[in-house]
Amino acid sequence: MSITAETAKEHAKDPAVLCCRAEAGITIGVENLEDPTIFDDLVDSGLLNLDGVLTIEQILGATLTKTCDSLTPLTPDVVAGIKEVEQEMAVEEPEETEAEQKEEVASSQSIVTTAGGVLKIHIGKGKDIDIEIPTGITAGAAGVQMPAMQPASVVPVAAAPAAEEKPEKVIRSLTRKHFKITEVKRGPETKIEGTVLYIREGIEEEAAASQELVNSLKIDIITPEQYHTYSETIMDVQPIAAKEGEDEIGSGTTRVLDGVVVMVTGTDANGVQIGEFGSSEGILDENIMWGRPGAPEKGEIFIKTEVVIKEGTNMERPGPLAAHTATDVITQEIRLALKKLDDTLVIDTETFEQVRRPGKKKVVIVKEIMGQGAMHDNLILPVEPVGVLGAKPNVDLGNVPVMVSPLEVLDGCIHALTCIGPASKEMSRHYWREPLVLETLYDKELDLCGVIFVGSPQINSEKFYVSKRVGMMCEALDVDGAFVTTEGFGNNHIDFASHIEQIGMRGISVVGMSFCAVQGALVVGNKYMTNMVDNNKSESGIENEVLACNTLCHEDAIRALYMLKADMAGEEIKKPEKKWNPNVKENNVELISNVTGKPVELVANEQSLPMSQKRKEKYD
Amino acid sequence: MKYGDKIIRMEGVIVEVHDGCVGIDLKGRLGYLKVPMRMLITDYPVKVGQEVAWNMSFVEQMGPEINEKYMSNLMTYQKRQEKMRANNRDDEEVTQ
Repeated sequence: MSITAETAKEHAKDPAVLCCRAEAGITIGVENLEDPTIFDDLVDSGLLNLDGVLTIEQILGATLTKTCDSLTPLTPDVVAGIKEVEQEMAVEEPEETEAEQKEEVASSQSIVTTAGGVLKIHIGKGKDIDIEIPTGITAGAAGVQMPAMQPASVVPVAAAPAAEEKPEKVIRSLTRKHFKITEVKRGPETKIEGTVLYIREGIEEEAAASQELVNSLKIDIITPEQYHTYSETIMDVQPIAAKEGEDEIGSGTTRVLDGVVVMVTGTDANGVQIGEFGSSEGILDENIMWGRPGAPEKGEIFIKTEVVIKEGTNMERPGPLAAHTATDVITQEIRLALKKLDDTLVIDTETFEQVRRPGKKKVVIVKEIMGQGAMHDNLILPVEPVGVLGAKPNVDLGNVPVMVSPLEVLDGCIHALTCIGPASKEMSRHYWREPLVLETLYDKELDLCGVIFVGSPQINSEKFYVSKRVGMMCEALDVDGAFVTTEGFGNNHIDFASHIEQIGMRGISVVGMSFCAVQGALVVGNKYMTNMVDNNKSESGIENEVLACNTLCHEDAIRALYMLKADMAGEEIKKPEKKWNPNVKENNVELISNVTGKPVELVANEQSLPMSQKRKEKYD
Repeated sequence: MKYGDKIIRMEGVIVEVHDGCVGIDLKGRLGYLKVPMRMLITDYPVKVGQEVAWNMSFVEQMGPEINEKYMSNLMTYQKRQEKMRANNRDDEEVTQ
């Protein structure tokens, strides 16, 4: 199939191959050329050999000297009048320091190149992922040569001729008071004494009775010594936190218990797991990726509920919701005890400020959350952090985008019903410690205006309905850049792609983040999906059934941040590698660390967990 | 996998619709598949009786070994299920 002039321009440096039979003597035009995007497969299967082939920009307008069949690569022996094209690499004379860096970089992997003073970073992982960071920056139109020895200065995102620096504006702040818990016991009433939390005996019956669908509820207190025990599938991990006085989510003061989390698990009355498929239940310490934003930390005590709901309701909307609501009866009683605590017990105070930075590049975070129904749902904006009361299920809101402040996210405005699969689902605690929100909020070069939550409905027409609203919202916000994140893989990648398209077509820089790797490869794509960050951490790029293993971490947030900055600075993005290659991420992380001077610490993956030898052989 | 690239088109009929998943009978009595909603791409509201199609290859054994971890999980799970079913039956009898 021939290509258009526009495609030819995009692929000017790609191989020129005839799309159909052409007679000797013709002037080669775009209509004679094949689309270069299909060449990889043809080369792989041995149908095409691109050795010595000329590029599209070299042969456009040249004359064919020999009649050739379709799919003939155009080499100098069949073309007359080849255009000389300047070799970009040789245009500028890089200063010595750059040359040194170039060598160093090139020796690590061929993915990284420095050309004409531009350090190109390529993060191709199944789909297009690239970063480019000017090393010896030439500051905009002024043409001021900066010392080349400063690769540490990453793209100054603020417009070059920044007339006057506008002051930062603190919109609101949120204080977190931490209270330490070292022991959880049962007792006659729910209270906190010193660092001991007592949970009232018999609260289980009340919690179960509060929900018609709940047959029974059991509380297990799991201390670190009991980590190596069997558990039903973990449905959610939640922080225990309460607002002070009349404060609302996202501002004022929040009290939180350290060292203890609530864990929701459950089955239906016939013992079938709630909202789960397959065998992800099992021994706790083999199935939890410790320290992920959404997962427990090693050493924490789990207040684990095991909710039994009416048989057959495990896959219907009211079932998982009832299990969460019943568990929240217990959490709510702990919250009330937490509210009564004396301030002298506070061990640490954290303050988050929502800062607007007028004049800096304005960005928004779009977080796609599941909304297909049943366990694919999220409760938005409860009265208490990660509570149930007052919250609206995302599905009932029609999955339309909802704008929240970054502080509302960090204050538990999402109560996640978290579906499959365990490795990529974002638990309620994930939002409480959301790395992308934190990194962007604290980045002094960016002005984070808000976080948009948008549900992922089941039917395609509804997916496009909500993504068009996302596009319109971003347009109205006048943002320069946007992050789009999603959890897990499946049909949610259709709206994920659509969100990126709707934002990208409005001329806004956009970076997508998802678990993809091998198993979660994107099902659809479009021309705006050039900047992608993969959240995969598993060794073999799969859903490895380890809780929260492949969720968004700080290292992913940092990569996305630099990618968006590079794109907003107008850097060209290179094509991805054809297949998922974990080295790309490592190289990029290393390059970012080199450029920023700050090491990016990578989190451990499932290989750090105890695991039977057999599983290791089979799985990873 | 030895035959991983032998992809065939399979068709099936939706026989169960839940809020969180669908059950699909493979045409030709070739089996039954239950998938979560998010693994199903739909242009219309999902209804029992609708036909679906997908590509798949044959399922191959990866080796003769038994994975003890999965085995033990399965046994525990089945034992629990049996116990809970029995309890559930008893409860029903009591309420009747």
